[in-house]
Amino acid sequence: MSDSQRTIDAWRRRLGALDNDLIDELVAGRVDRRGFLRHGSMLGLSLPLLGGIATAFGAVDAVSTPARAAGNPGGAIRVALTVPAGAIDPVTIADNGGLTMLLQGAEFLCVLQPDLTLKPVLATSWTHNEDGSVWTFKLRPGVKFQSGGTLKAEDVIASIDRLCDPKNASNALSAFKGILSPGNTKKIDDLTVEFRLDAPYGAFPYVVSSDNYNCVILPASYKGDFEHAWDGTGPFKLEKYTPKVGASFVRNPDYWGPKALPDRTEFTFFTDVQPQILALQGGQVDLIEQLQVSGGQAILNDPRFEIIREKSTGHEQVHMRCDTGPFADKRVRRALALSLSRKLLVAGLFRNLAVIGNDSPFAPAFPMTDTSVPQREQDLAQAKELLQAAGVGKGFNVTLTTERYIEIPDYAVLIKNFASKVGIDITLNVESQDAYYGKAQFGQSDWLDSTLGITDYGNRGVPNVFLRAPLLSDGPWNGAHFHNKTYDGLVNQYGRAADLGAQRTLAKQIQELLLDETPIIFAYFYDYLVPVKKGLTGIPPIANRLFLDRATFT
Amino acid sequence: MTLALLSVLVFAGGQLLPGDVGRAVLGPLADARAVAVLDHQLGVDRPLPVQYWEWISRFVVGDMGMSYIYRAPVAPFVASALVNSLKLAAVAFVIVVPLAIAGGVTAALNVGRWLDRVITLTGLSATVVPEFVSGIVLILVFGVWLNVFPITAASPPGAGLLTQIYYLILPSAPLVLVLFGYIARMARAGTVTALEADYTRTAVLKGLPYPTVIWRHVLRNALLPTIAVIATQAGYLIGGLIVVETLFHYQGVGGLIYGAAKSHDFPMLEAGILTVGTIYVFSSLAADLLSVRLNPLLRFGARS
Repeated sequence: MSDSQRTIDAWRRRLGALDNDLIDELVAGRVDRRGFLRHGSMLGLSLPLLGGIATAFGAVDAVSTPARAAGNPGGAIRVALTVPAGAIDPVTIADNGGLTMLLQGAEFLCVLQPDLTLKPVLATSWTHNEDGSVWTFKLRPGVKFQSGGTLKAEDVIASIDRLCDPKNASNALSAFKGILSPGNTKKIDDLTVEFRLDAPYGAFPYVVSSDNYNCVILPASYKGDFEHAWDGTGPFKLEKYTPKVGASFVRNPDYWGPKALPDRTEFTFFTDVQPQILALQGGQVDLIEQLQVSGGQAILNDPRFEIIREKSTGHEQVHMRCDTGPFADKRVRRALALSLSRKLLVAGLFRNLAVIGNDSPFAPAFPMTDTSVPQREQDLAQAKELLQAAGVGKGFNVTLTTERYIEIPDYAVLIKNFASKVGIDITLNVESQDAYYGKAQFGQSDWLDSTLGITDYGNRGVPNVFLRAPLLSDGPWNGAHFHNKTYDGLVNQYGRAADLGAQRTLAKQIQELLLDETPIIFAYFYDYLVPVKKGLTGIPPIANRLFLDRATFT
Repeated sequence: MTLALLSVLVFAGGQLLPGDVGRAVLGPLADARAVAVLDHQLGVDRPLPVQYWEWISRFVVGDMGMSYIYRAPVAPFVASALVNSLKLAAVAFVIVVPLAIAGGVTAALNVGRWLDRVITLTGLSATVVPEFVSGIVLILVFGVWLNVFPITAASPPGAGLLTQIYYLILPSAPLVLVLFGYIARMARAGTVTALEADYTRTAVLKGLPYPTVIWRHVLRNALLPTIAVIATQAGYLIGGLIVVETLFHYQGVGGLIYGAAKSHDFPMLEAGILTVGTIYVFSSLAADLLSVRLNPLLRFGARS
């Protein structure tokens, strides 16, 4: 027996069943290096341990440290940012502009990485009990809030309880629903907290990570006045914040980790993307927080700028009412899905800066996605046959209702054009977001009541939210009105599963079920694009999370 | 009375907008319980007359209230936006008024000739170009390609008067283009009418020098309708520049009103619209007073 084998055996004896299952997956080649790292980090295995195991099995580059900018400290990074929609309050914040402000001065227990792994930040490690219903997080010692206090278990308990308590106007409430209730986060010691979940949940670390963007850790004494104190633990300290105008931050000299490279960061708020593009072209900012392909052609073609391409799981869901109207017959739903050319959609809408979807939330970026499930391709002949069999061979009229947001209106036009090839005549009803979402409750929302609609869903590190809220029979965002007990059972099993093998097995069944039923068309998963001035490096390609502490001009 | 009626209309109109404040803050996918809690905290779940009465009773004593969205007093937001809008309007006014009056009068003095046609045609063509078109062209030409003007209207903090004016020149250019044709046409029409009037003929026949005839007799009468036109544009220049403010990244009253309407921030919306309404009222009053000052007939007619 080799030394490395003996070492691995020693590790295996110390690890739990779920951890060993993951190693089995790696050995069997059912999980790639990225998936091994990602899932191992979720289970709470340390990166050095994962690195050792991966190296022993030949997955050497699995543990290579992401390249970091080697630039010198100093200078200022100027950012064009969409104006925060309201007060900067971690409890209520719901928009990209506000979130980006939050990220500069406050931190999470762990943060999502470009490969969808979790990196420990304020937590140093986490473990779980056998069934994944109790999770224990060790906190980093010596972390200071900017007001001078030291991070303790009480701060974490108060921060999380505040977010999962229905008595607060918490934007994270839906993310905690059915997973964690207030009062169930307990102190073990000053630097250890225990989360006792409502039910086993294999992806719990993602719920308290940057994936759930309200989950920054604030002092236990926080009273809703974040804009006055900006009291986080992050690498930058607020210098000045002027609502609707801009903000500037300076390096936090007391930061627990490597000090931020830039001396300062300056954010200018814009209400629209076009002025942001002009500001970048005019040299008044160094980067734009996010660029859409539609409307961003001038930057994409400009050699003065580089585009940081961030693979994401963000997508548009085309829901079809399964309980009434023409789409009550699943053959009609499949026919519409078959009429679409996903390759043309990705090329036309995104200049190929997106990947094709297969009518389930399992994006190619998720390691548990079963890529052996056949990809749905455009097949007009089969679509016509399905319509014929469903008794609507001569076609029908239907209204597609959607929101005026990023590329969605263009997507709606393309769906209309594709559908017309199989005889489905679509009338477009493109509304403001307020009108589309309405009260976001059944009977009071075009989103949830429309026969056919398109809705935007942002990037997530795990597919759980996508699988539950829009597709479970009692899902609060189930615009498709999809009621399928088999599906509900599979998803509930999936939520409890903490080992990757079981997740992949369930994923395959869910993917196949959704392809058959097709309550929602998932045609693509788009990339997040961050255009930067040439020479600006060190910004990690993490979708929708702008971390600037390693940014530098080289 | 006008402003009171306006406040009621804005409040009532605001209720017709889809969505509510809680959802505007927490986002479309927020849990309904969280939305209800926030609506309750902000007081927007109370009966509408109660909400209106509470707001108006404070507003009349100078308290504009708290922004629902920013959870901070509204007054500093409105004051800052108003100052910005006044600066932009002032620069645009200073450029366009003399230019347009000179153009209109020159056209009238050359009526029917090529100069008249050039000025009239140029003015009309510029007027029909939307601000978002002229604004983008100006930014691309002067801001990006030639790089002679900054493409944002907001000058750096602590900038002096000249720097502020420098930053406002490019943003005011689309406004100048829109207003030039309008004001010049009125000035031309007024001047043509005045040139044909009996009092002008009498002044010429009694041997007054031509410049004196133009300055004292023609312009004084010709510009009365122009003054009224300029006054009606004041409200537009203060509160109607959403496109220009957006393009040039400027925090003016137009953008403030638009943002407040979108986010259901009723106290901010009311304060912004009533500010613009007040400016309309006072600019119209100022125009009336100036007309009376310039037109003896109005003064004497009133006395008789």
